[in-house]
Amino acid sequence: MNTHSVSAHDETWLLLPWLANGRLAGPQRAQAEEHVRGCAACAQELLAQRHLCTLLTEPERVTYAPGPSLRKLLERIDGQAPPQARAPMPAPAARRRLAAAWRPPGLAWAATFLLTAALGILTGTAYHWSQPVYATYTTGHAAGAVLHVAFDRSLPFGEVEELLRSVGARVVEGPGTTGIFGIVPAGDTAPRTEGGASPQMRALAARLHGDARVRWIEPLPAAATVEDAQGPSARNH
Amino acid sequence: MAREVELLARVAEGDRRAFEELYNLYHRRMARFLMRLTRRYELAEEIINDTFWVVWRKAGEFRGDSQPSTWILGIAYRKARSAFRSASRQAEQNLTIESEPLTSETPAGDEELRDWLGQALAQLPVEQRLAVELCYELGHSCEEIATIMNCPVNTVKTRLFHARAKLQRLLPQLATPHAAAGAQAREGRAS
Repeated sequence: MNTHSVSAHDETWLLLPWLANGRLAGPQRAQAEEHVRGCAACAQELLAQRHLCTLLTEPERVTYAPGPSLRKLLERIDGQAPPQARAPMPAPAARRRLAAAWRPPGLAWAATFLLTAALGILTGTAYHWSQPVYATYTTGHAAGAVLHVAFDRSLPFGEVEELLRSVGARVVEGPGTTGIFGIVPAGDTAPRTEGGASPQMRALAARLHGDARVRWIEPLPAAATVEDAQGPSARNH
Repeated sequence: MAREVELLARVAEGDRRAFEELYNLYHRRMARFLMRLTRRYELAEEIINDTFWVVWRKAGEFRGDSQPSTWILGIAYRKARSAFRSASRQAEQNLTIESEPLTSETPAGDEELRDWLGQALAQLPVEQRLAVELCYELGHSCEEIATIMNCPVNTVKTRLFHARAKLQRLLPQLATPHAAAGAQAREGRAS
């Protein structure tokens, strides 16, 4: 076998699958067929390839009904948005008008203005977001509407409940990650949102001040009361 | 082909009936070759539905540069490849071991040979398996397979070259197509 026929053999050998499935066309087909006529190895391999085609295209013993699979897919589609419609290509004249509109001082100026405005708003918003947000335990309630307290960390939760019951308080917030509870006098149906601390709240704070298990009590807002006139009594451990 | 192009154009506009027709058209042929590859209907169904999910959403992107079947099977190929990724790694490991023939027996007929062929195909790396199915079963040209697999034409030829060599080692009976017919004839005479 000379170099040319070796090369023709290798090339034909690679193309045999498509000679077998009938998809080899044009000069490639003619050359391959010519080579196969004179090459016993390729002729034998072509037979094997055709056999493979036959085996893989014979009717299946089992067929699969598409119905159930299609139903599943349609359910999936129904849960989603419709397909992206193909955008029609604009006509040449319309395209030219569209292009002209983008030249100054048309839409380009308007777009520039809108972009500048959007950039300004974005910068303002970003600056606002970059500022730290501070919140206190009284945020969301008027001062004095809820009394914030912290108990000794070793105190079991059951004992905290018992303590609160004994001083006539109920929990309306927390405890948060810092162990701070928001409480109100047990008689109050809802936390007050304005008007400062009620006498009941001040009495409750006073009762808690007397208990050694209470680690911290939030100072109540100043009010023209006798107690306040005597000075702040909040205990801060 | 013109019908499929028309169906795809209607699917792009959200036509549900056209979509169902296209699905039914492809389900059978895709189920067949995917079943041979996966041997699990749930996985084959998942690949088909993932493919047609993309067809439903992206039909508007089909520009007619290739045949609809090439475009759809290209999507199916990518879906199948990711589904078989782990299986493919296993198959590539298998390739490093010298393969022994599956059986030395003569098949009683094409039915038996087809079963053995299924087992032999399962031992090929996924890229080679898909190339075999696209060529022999679905009858695609080398160029179409290259488009579907998004690779050069020479890569397709090389994949099939290796697949053929491995199949021949695993199943020498494939090289003697008349053996099965002979066995059937012998059975016929005996009965």
